[in-house]
Amino acid sequence: MRKLLVAVAAAALALSACSSEGGGGTDGNVTITFWDNNGGPAREPIYKELISRFESANPNIKVEYVGIPSASVQQKYDTAIAGGETPDVGGVTTSYLAHLVGQEALAPLDDRINSGPLKDKLLPSLVETVRQTAPDGKLYIVPSSANMDIIWYRTDWFKDAGLEAPKTWDEFITTAEKLTDTGANKYGYTIRGGAGSVFQLITEAYAYSGVDNFFKDGKSTLNDPANAELVDKVADLYKKATPEADVNNSFTQMIAQFTGGSVAMMHHNLGSYSDVTKALGDKVAAMPLPVGPSGKRTVVPNPTDGFAVFKNSENQDAAWKFAEFLTSAESNSYWNEKVGQIPANTDVRSAAWIDTAAHVKMALGVLEDPATILVPAPVYLPQYSSITKTESEPQYQKVLLGELTGQQFLDDMAKKLTEAEKEWEERK
Amino acid sequence: MTETLGKTGTLVREVAGTTHAPPPPGRRRRRAVAEEPGKPWMIRVPLFLYLLFTLIPFYWMLVFAVRPSGSTQLVPWPISFEHFDTVWNDIGFGIFFYNSVVMGLGVLVFVTILSVMGGYALARFKFRGQRVFLLAMLCSQFIPGAMMLIPLFVIFKGIGLLNSITGLVIAEVAFQLPLSLILMSGFIRNISVELEEAAMVDGCSRLRAFFAVVLPQLKPALVAVGSFAFIGAWNQFLFALMFATRQDKFTLPVGLSYTLGEFNTDFGALAAGGVVAAVPVVLVFAVVQRFLVQGLSAGAVKG
Repeated sequence: MRKLLVAVAAAALALSACSSEGGGGTDGNVTITFWDNNGGPAREPIYKELISRFESANPNIKVEYVGIPSASVQQKYDTAIAGGETPDVGGVTTSYLAHLVGQEALAPLDDRINSGPLKDKLLPSLVETVRQTAPDGKLYIVPSSANMDIIWYRTDWFKDAGLEAPKTWDEFITTAEKLTDTGANKYGYTIRGGAGSVFQLITEAYAYSGVDNFFKDGKSTLNDPANAELVDKVADLYKKATPEADVNNSFTQMIAQFTGGSVAMMHHNLGSYSDVTKALGDKVAAMPLPVGPSGKRTVVPNPTDGFAVFKNSENQDAAWKFAEFLTSAESNSYWNEKVGQIPANTDVRSAAWIDTAAHVKMALGVLEDPATILVPAPVYLPQYSSITKTESEPQYQKVLLGELTGQQFLDDMAKKLTEAEKEWEERK
Repeated sequence: MTETLGKTGTLVREVAGTTHAPPPPGRRRRRAVAEEPGKPWMIRVPLFLYLLFTLIPFYWMLVFAVRPSGSTQLVPWPISFEHFDTVWNDIGFGIFFYNSVVMGLGVLVFVTILSVMGGYALARFKFRGQRVFLLAMLCSQFIPGAMMLIPLFVIFKGIGLLNSITGLVIAEVAFQLPLSLILMSGFIRNISVELEEAAMVDGCSRLRAFFAVVLPQLKPALVAVGSFAFIGAWNQFLFALMFATRQDKFTLPVGLSYTLGEFNTDFGALAAGGVVAAVPVVLVFAVVQRFLVQGLSAGAVKG
């Protein structure tokens, strides 16, 4: 009987030892978990391929892939942090990076980057964006790719009308008007008036005004008169050179109008590449946002995508190895070619596909141009998204409908941003 | 969405029934008389419009699901199953579907059994603190699931129930039980005690009296509570998303949101996934709706 008990206890022990997943085994084999922050059928196969390449190069590390639906990823991370069940490596973008750093969930990566092959191989503008997002200026994600706001336009319409891609906002506006033929249901431009509208509007405003910082002496520059000028100019286009339904347009409707063939120009970002080319083939091309009267090119960068190593991970070394592998020249090239975004690894600049992907080349050119001024939006402010989305989007619709001037609209938003910035500075 | 379909279905049946059958006694008759001058089309046309209104989104979903990507036909022909192949095999809806079925059935079984047991106790026995208990049950309905998320997560992590369908079933049963319990006790209260007492006079134990007399009369209630439990579990999204950190434990709603990327959405796959998720619910309602109308009206009129 006693022997039986001992045997049972031993078996139970052995079982529980086996079932402790993820930890480092005695044989040196480890399993790490990787969360894809924009999981889905479009990206999963790309990661699966990279993971199998990684596993064959590192036979003692297994990577478990988990795709998280992008709409819930922030909540998922928050729950995991609160419950102490974070992954080893995770995809993180700068839009919620500050939030994760604030909960002390991530391990800083400066030393690891600087002591490895990635040193000086990452696009400086992206590294800078990442640094500015964390309150202590450390690198908590290794940037992998960037997105940029651009204008997609119909090359065939431009050719038929004998027009060139506009370089300045004034040219842009006259072009949009020239390409409009309301009788034929053809419009020069489409305004995003619904969900996500204000973020796009802000990038347009700064591109126009050339204002080079979001805050001056702690005060938001958003209500700069030049910014307001642009808002009014866009609002003037509404219904004149754009469909009337635009006031409620979110990304989906906007892209449906554009790919459906009733609109000549659409402001979005590189992310819609596969959608627009699938529908329009070579009849579509990208141009940077036009510049304003100042002649300066200011760019409000999109959230930068990257990989973070979580502090709670028991296998931080293996986790870093994987993150480093994903951002190595070869993987980074493979990944960005598939998704059509700007690679963070500067060695990818010479990859053959960059020359054929005109939109990426164009965007990369803008980001690498020393004359380009980056104006990062203060996404580190906890209130940033509620100020620019929930509180401001309905107000912007009023501007489009002519019930509010651009200046009044921006004054209100700037005031809230200034207050949020003040609070942030005091807490820092 | 799926519930509306069920409701519409039952609504149409019910009205069609009342126009042909003699009006029921009581207040309803008086109202029916007052409305008598109307012609059948005055009911049917608006109802038909309403039916169209609810069915058109479903039609769109079907169209998107069965036509090849890139096609813009309104009546898809030839029918293509490529999207179903994508969601079932590539995205893994096969596993998600299995997980959802297991979870739905688990919740159904436990909610039904526990609510019958608890409901019987609430309806037939008097005990100290009964009102407080009922009140607490009702109040628990005010707590949003999101608030319980982190505590539950921590507890489940501690006892090893993350990444398991068992954990999801426990959480969902806990959330559904209060309302089902209250509903069920209402049903049981409507079954006359005299029948039970008569059975007991004839020599039945209370347990046997319950099985012989009460349970057969509870059929509509069991169907109503059970099907809502199943559908509630079927649609549960938040817990399923948060408690599963392995893809093979995702359920259908999580799988559906998984097809919505930040930059690109495969509408064909999304629609096909939607069809996969909707079919069982539609089937459940098609089978149980007869009982459901009985069950709901029994609770409503006599209660």
